[in-house]
Amino acid sequence: MSTPSQPDPRADTAAVSDETLMASHAKLLGQQPDEKGRYRLMPLNLLFIFSGMIFFGGTYLGRFSGYFSPSVFNEYSTGTAVVAAAPLDPVAVGKKLYAIPGGCITCHQPNGAGLPGAFPPLANSEWVTGSEERLIRIALHGLQGPIKVAGADYNSAMPGFGQGSGFNWSDDKIAAVLTYIRQEWGNKAGPIAVDKVTAVRTKEGARSAAWTAADLEKLP
Amino acid sequence: MPNPPTHATTAEVTAIDTQARGPLLLLLGSGLVWLVVSGVLALLTSIQLHAPQFLADCPQLTHGRAQALRETAFVYGWLANAGLGLALWILARLGGRPLRGLNWVVAGSLFWNAGVALGLVGIAIGDMTSFGLLQMPRYVQPLLVFAYACMGVSGVLAWSGRREDAMYASQWYAVAAIFLFPWLLIAAQAVLLWMPVRGVVQPIAATWFAQGVWALWLAPLALAVVYYIVPKISGRIIPVYEWASLGFWTLLFIGSWSGGRHLVGGPVPAWIPTMAVVAQSMMLFHYLIILLNLRAIWGVGGTTAAFIRFGFVAYLVFGVAEFIASFRGVAAHTHFTLFNAAIEQLGLYGAISMIFFGGIYFAVPRLTGLAWASASLISGHRWLVLAGVVISIAALGIAGGAQGEGLLDPKVSFPDMFGRMSTPLLINTAAQAVLLSANLLLLVNFLRSACPWTRTAEPTPTLFRAATEEAHAS
Repeated sequence: MSTPSQPDPRADTAAVSDETLMASHAKLLGQQPDEKGRYRLMPLNLLFIFSGMIFFGGTYLGRFSGYFSPSVFNEYSTGTAVVAAAPLDPVAVGKKLYAIPGGCITCHQPNGAGLPGAFPPLANSEWVTGSEERLIRIALHGLQGPIKVAGADYNSAMPGFGQGSGFNWSDDKIAAVLTYIRQEWGNKAGPIAVDKVTAVRTKEGARSAAWTAADLEKLP
Repeated sequence: MPNPPTHATTAEVTAIDTQARGPLLLLLGSGLVWLVVSGVLALLTSIQLHAPQFLADCPQLTHGRAQALRETAFVYGWLANAGLGLALWILARLGGRPLRGLNWVVAGSLFWNAGVALGLVGIAIGDMTSFGLLQMPRYVQPLLVFAYACMGVSGVLAWSGRREDAMYASQWYAVAAIFLFPWLLIAAQAVLLWMPVRGVVQPIAATWFAQGVWALWLAPLALAVVYYIVPKISGRIIPVYEWASLGFWTLLFIGSWSGGRHLVGGPVPAWIPTMAVVAQSMMLFHYLIILLNLRAIWGVGGTTAAFIRFGFVAYLVFGVAEFIASFRGVAAHTHFTLFNAAIEQLGLYGAISMIFFGGIYFAVPRLTGLAWASASLISGHRWLVLAGVVISIAALGIAGGAQGEGLLDPKVSFPDMFGRMSTPLLINTAAQAVLLSANLLLLVNFLRSACPWTRTAEPTPTLFRAATEEAHAS
């Protein structure tokens, strides 16, 4: 408090002792706010300032946080942009489906040639490259009984792969695997549309029985 | 607000000071030596900015390494030693008991200085890490943690064994700094050096650490000094002292959130820089409390008050500058330019170092029991360091501004841009030379004051009485 008019620059004197410093400040903190005659308002002005900062901070966060998404790097993003899924190549999908163990590949073999005398081939098969209606129905519901494929006779059974069957493949998957076999091993038929599979499946309703060659030949 | 009764006649040199003399003078002295070392390195790096061929053939001192050496010597050599020395002294004095574990302080200080020296050698031979403020190679880092823990023991003992139950603001800040820094250093080492996280998480962790060094270590150390010295020399109670704890907790809780502002425009999710901007704006509350509390420094005469006042103003200006520079629109101009170097100079030199200078000018006469050896060296240091700090901040800021404009304008070629920067960079080199000479004066004065055998010839003009137990009687 009493600063000398000509302080020695080499040693600044202390105006209070450590004990006084501690005691006078501790008294301030220990003081009860409602002590008689010493009532001190809550620092309302501080409260207002701090609320203003929180308001600013909250607004700023809401506007520029990118919804706290780990994949939003542009602070101006409003977070509504939907990432477009890349379209899948049905041939690539079909190739994977074809190779699932216990599925197509088990009987028809990796080269699509089947097993002579037991399982018919897919390569150069008029059933594969021919009528879409018949092919879709075979894949959806299965096939049993005698059938003539590429000039040879076969008599065995194939399970259905469509919805409700043990495989329960979606229309997308059926379309993909059929598109695949129609352009593989030298086959040169066009792709099977998903809509077409859906249409056939809807038309057949809840059918679960396998088709026979004779039934199929009545169809276009 | 009532003023406390002044006890100007109380003996100012107590048993606390005489007993801690050697260890604390060792800390402060080694800090000053490192300050001069970093001053030399700062001069080198500043020359390299306008004369790139300077020392370019010396692999140990190319600009990247010299810059890392300067920063490490400054932060881990000067600021760490001086800050800890002052914090331990304040904790002991406010605790009212002599420091315990002083052997640990001496051992820790020796290990710390050895670690920093080893770290500098490691950086020079090319083992530095790529993280700002954590550039010392991996192999010295455990040594640093160990040494810091040794020194911290004494502070923790002084705090836990204090005479009064009540704590004063300086004690909060000093204890927080002593406890938080080892945690920060260990955590950063673990995720950056020993089990490095991958990809963009690395810069996020690195900026968190760098911000923590400021907000959880250096700023608390400096505030401990200011909160102690301001009432001590002014004799006034801190205005609105009951708000001081709000300032303390905002610094501790919010301070380290704002590191992400250095990643603006980088490959990190948008919310990280945004959160940093918000944290930086909330920090204005902390600076407001500091302004209200410590304005009592105004109108006090003397060397200590002059330094503390400058550091106090620089601390507040630093807070506002950081807030403004954190916004993306501003960062687009200032990021990756020397403007950031100017802000760093403002924070680490203008604020923290000046406050430590003030603390040293106040503490050393009490530790030695004698006034400083030379008044002219004090005044020389005071005016030179003032001029050096102000000019270097201004020069770096102007150079950074020119750099930012040049980088954003595709029509300005690189040589043109550097042509515009060369004058302020030359001025900065001059300022660094002034700072170096100023700190040499301080070191000389310190050595003359601290070594008793240099004082025997003169008629010891001490202002202080010999150590008595008077201060303990209350």
